[in-house]
Amino acid sequence: MRRIVPWVVPFLLLAAWQAAGDVGWLSGRVLPTPVAVARAGAQLAESGELGLHLRVSFQRAAVGFLIGGGIGLILGMFTGVSRSAESFLDGTLQMLRTVPHLAMIPLVILWFGVGESAKVFLVALGVLFPIYLNTYHGVRSVDPGLIEMGRVYGLGRWQLVVRVLLPGASASILVGVRYALGVMWLTLIVAETIAATSGIGSLAMNAREFLRTDVVVLCILLYAVLGKLADSSARLLERWWLPWHPAFARMPVKADPGDPDGDNR
Amino acid sequence: MSPGVDIEASGIRRAFGSKVVLAGLDIAAAPGEFVVVVGRSGCGKSTLLRLLAGLDKPDDGEVRVGGEPLRGLYPAARVVFQDGRLLPWLRVGANVALGLSSRETHRAAEVLAEVGLAERSHDWPAILSGGQRQRVALARALAASPRLLLLDEPLGSLDALTRLEMQRLLERLWQRAGFTSVLITHDVEEAVALGNRVIHLANGRVLGEWVVDLPRPRPRGNAQFTELVQHILETVMRIDQGILR
Repeated sequence: MRRIVPWVVPFLLLAAWQAAGDVGWLSGRVLPTPVAVARAGAQLAESGELGLHLRVSFQRAAVGFLIGGGIGLILGMFTGVSRSAESFLDGTLQMLRTVPHLAMIPLVILWFGVGESAKVFLVALGVLFPIYLNTYHGVRSVDPGLIEMGRVYGLGRWQLVVRVLLPGASASILVGVRYALGVMWLTLIVAETIAATSGIGSLAMNAREFLRTDVVVLCILLYAVLGKLADSSARLLERWWLPWHPAFARMPVKADPGDPDGDNR
Repeated sequence: MSPGVDIEASGIRRAFGSKVVLAGLDIAAAPGEFVVVVGRSGCGKSTLLRLLAGLDKPDDGEVRVGGEPLRGLYPAARVVFQDGRLLPWLRVGANVALGLSSRETHRAAEVLAEVGLAERSHDWPAILSGGQRQRVALARALAASPRLLLLDEPLGSLDALTRLEMQRLLERLWQRAGFTSVLITHDVEEAVALGNRVIHLANGRVLGEWVVDLPRPRPRGNAQFTELVQHILETVMRIDQGILR
């Protein structure tokens, strides 16, 4: 029962939408029925067009995310760990962060044309700052007591980063990853809509020219599904990466199976 | 195992802003000795321990370990902190093995067994009780076979029964390994139970010192034990009240 409840409202909305189209309240030009959208999806899937566009979009998103996220992570670690790196870089990065990366589109088109690198660059740029900020903040908020302990227990600089700072910052970094995944799709949608010959965004733009509202709606739904998938995978990552963390734990936090009274034997 | 190293602090002064925490203080521990420093909270005992550990530098005076002036951290010293400071993202076994070279990692299982937690090696620290966590912290400190063990009220937040158990465990481990120990506590009974010498710290100075010459392990009910605890408590309270007035 509990599993069904969240799906009731979406299902009712869908049914109402279908009914409104069937009765004729909604013209197919304005909003095609769910069945029509599904049919358009099936046609595109059959011709192989859908798979092609999906793969291209996914590839751009992934490559841009890895490049931008990687740079953000490394820069965040640097400024988090070292005071001199912080004073050298953080001010600049905080300043650049305030520029909306989508405002760069005209410049990016001038630099890269409308090729792949333009889209990847934009995604990377959009993803970089959330990951940078959360890494930096995460490293900075690691308990100084643990860092001190690490020094007393003979950890070198590199060991301190790997064993103490990075794991201590990981919960914050993952918040950055989740936020960045949202930015990633948003950037890709805009970039593909403005200047692209392949990808879901361009599929939608082509469909608009031929007044195929069903395909446009299909593309929007696809973006929603992809966004949801990205978010779910980030949650999986949290559970896999932070098994020790009380907020994501798969373990009983208070009760101890080997020690039912909670005290010592 | 490596025997203890001597530590000597002389003329130690430390102030934070205008507040003088340690005002010219001398303290020493012979190799393998168990020295306990007692005092009220705010008497500067934690600051003293940080100076002995090399985590902080005195404004004046000098700390010598093994005859050499202390510069930075002494590699064969370990600190057990009041709050344990286990890394929550490492399992118990990995926490104990922290900082050990690959040749020494077998020591982690050994010391974990010594503190009676061998079977908890694969647990996360978060599911342990406070006493168990401090035992893991103790095991981690002993894994590297330290020559000097500095304990900053490690039993301060434990319940009375667990404290007693931990005191016996600590005494046993110290007797077996022979390291030099400096324990900070506010509990006079704990001090008498464990120390070769008890040092009273107040107002940033050493204001009293007692040699505890009782056979180990020291039973609490023993008349001599109770008498010494009473004597130290009364003296400490008289002095502290004199200062407060």
